[in-house]
Amino acid sequence: MKYRVIIRKYKTEWREPKYVSYEVEADPDTSVLDVVEKISLEKDRTLAFEHACHHGACGACGMIINGVERLACITKIGEVARNGIVVLEPLRGFKVISDLAVNKSRMFKHYALVKPGTHEKVVGTVEVEKLLDCLECGICYSACPIANTFEGYVGPSVIAMSYKSSSNGKVPAIIDSRRGVWACHGSFECIARCPVDFKPGETIMKIRKELLFGKLQVV
Amino acid sequence: MTKHVVVIGGGVTGAAIAYDLSQRGARVTLLERGSIGSGTSGRTHGLLHSGCRYVADVDVARECYLENVTLRKIAPFLFEKNGGLFVAIDESDLKYKDFFLKKCEEAGIPVKELDRNEALRLEPNLNPELKAAVLVPDGTFDPLKVILSFLASAKLHGADIRPFNEVVGFRIESGAIKAVRVLDKTSEREYELEADYVVNATGAWANKVARLAGLSVPVKPSPGVMVALNARIGHRVFNRLNKPGDGDIIIHQRGTSVIGTTSWVVEDPDKVTIPREHVELMLKRGTELAPIVAKLKVKATYVSSRPLVGAVQASTGREISRSFAIIDHARDGVENFASIIGGKFTTARLMAEKMADFVAERIGITQPCRTADTPLAPYWSYFT
Repeated sequence: MKYRVIIRKYKTEWREPKYVSYEVEADPDTSVLDVVEKISLEKDRTLAFEHACHHGACGACGMIINGVERLACITKIGEVARNGIVVLEPLRGFKVISDLAVNKSRMFKHYALVKPGTHEKVVGTVEVEKLLDCLECGICYSACPIANTFEGYVGPSVIAMSYKSSSNGKVPAIIDSRRGVWACHGSFECIARCPVDFKPGETIMKIRKELLFGKLQVV
Repeated sequence: MTKHVVVIGGGVTGAAIAYDLSQRGARVTLLERGSIGSGTSGRTHGLLHSGCRYVADVDVARECYLENVTLRKIAPFLFEKNGGLFVAIDESDLKYKDFFLKKCEEAGIPVKELDRNEALRLEPNLNPELKAAVLVPDGTFDPLKVILSFLASAKLHGADIRPFNEVVGFRIESGAIKAVRVLDKTSEREYELEADYVVNATGAWANKVARLAGLSVPVKPSPGVMVALNARIGHRVFNRLNKPGDGDIIIHQRGTSVIGTTSWVVEDPDKVTIPREHVELMLKRGTELAPIVAKLKVKATYVSSRPLVGAVQASTGREISRSFAIIDHARDGVENFASIIGGKFTTARLMAEKMADFVAERIGITQPCRTADTPLAPYWSYFT
């Protein structure tokens, strides 16, 4: 199949971004990420994009694909192309480094603030500790109307992680503030767009309820 | 004056070398042509090897296990505390068991044989026909986050990390690299970076980079196909109790299980496609280990190229370990340039230690390696 991939390109010395079009030949089953990588190897050497695991586990390749936040590595080009056209843009809510690569420090800087562990206990027939399911891709920040307009917002994934990784049943004070759960307007775009069903919005509502009923304490 | 070392390659090996050398007091700049971990390292299956897969060579197995213990000690937050199982499904597997247990003991790897019921209680999705199971100290991780932790630690020691900066050439004068020519993809500008020493840690790409300096590296890019499922089917790593082979492992990390892997050799790691029959083979072999695999959907298939060591001639390089090699290009006429190939993700810290020892000797640094005893910085501090 022939596809036209249109990428929003931006280089540091440009006054504004521009959209560049590439004609590619790909099987509809090919991931958008593999197509982008092929473009970077064969057609556009300076194309900047982030990627690592290529199987939906590391969160590096979040981007906006035909208007919707997705992980490019687990999105098949044939499923998202419209009339053979795929438009790729960087995530919203983050500063663009170049092209599709964004600086995710506005999300990661809050890790110091809320000090989450990265593990959760799995209780069942046996007990083990696994990494939290959140991929730390930043897609929920990009999709969230609050994160896009209120720089001080801790953000959906980090709020959920601080609660899920809490070992003493308490959350940091900032979670119970207008920069934390009370900033959320409940649009739940984070739930709709989360690629792994981590559902930050659901946890945010749960935290609110527990705070109101005095079931959850702050430190 | 502080010597400036340029490390090429933003995979786990380059990241660990940048950390080690900057911790010893060198000024380090790391160059990566794409984003961090965008080559082989980021695309591994994410197995923290117990060493048990390599028991045929006891030294390699022991090296692997010791690094496994070291990494868990310096960065416990990076690894799932899950362990792994080696499972015998057929008679041929069962015949391998005594050899396996004996070699694990020789290598000093703590393993424990489980009875069938116990194994199935721990991991209900394993093949109920299993004939034997051995618990081993495997682990799983998110490769990108491990690389970022090494880089965050390097940054604390002043290292300058430059993703999207591709090496396009070298300025070589009187038998030494004076400067590296770099293309900054974020600005589309080329610049020169002066260097006292240059380390080529580009793994499967090592020969392509060395060629820019008119040199060669005996690396054999060896791709392997992996198949990620759209569900997580267990906690502990599932290994086939037998000699290493295609599709002998299922690794679980976060919400995914990954079946791996195959192996062949290519010329250019930038021109690898996934053979469809490899995917089918992974699913078939995976189903033997855990029948539920047949009922699941494939979330992604991917391929990454191991940097296997080809024939290293005594005159062109030296083998530091049986599992990796440092190629000293001084022997080919460029005195301040070395390449490192081979190894495994799990042994990256050790490879970096040896590489940094090698570089330190040449640029006059006397500080010993301290990476095995220093806690790693968390990956999120890379961004802050």
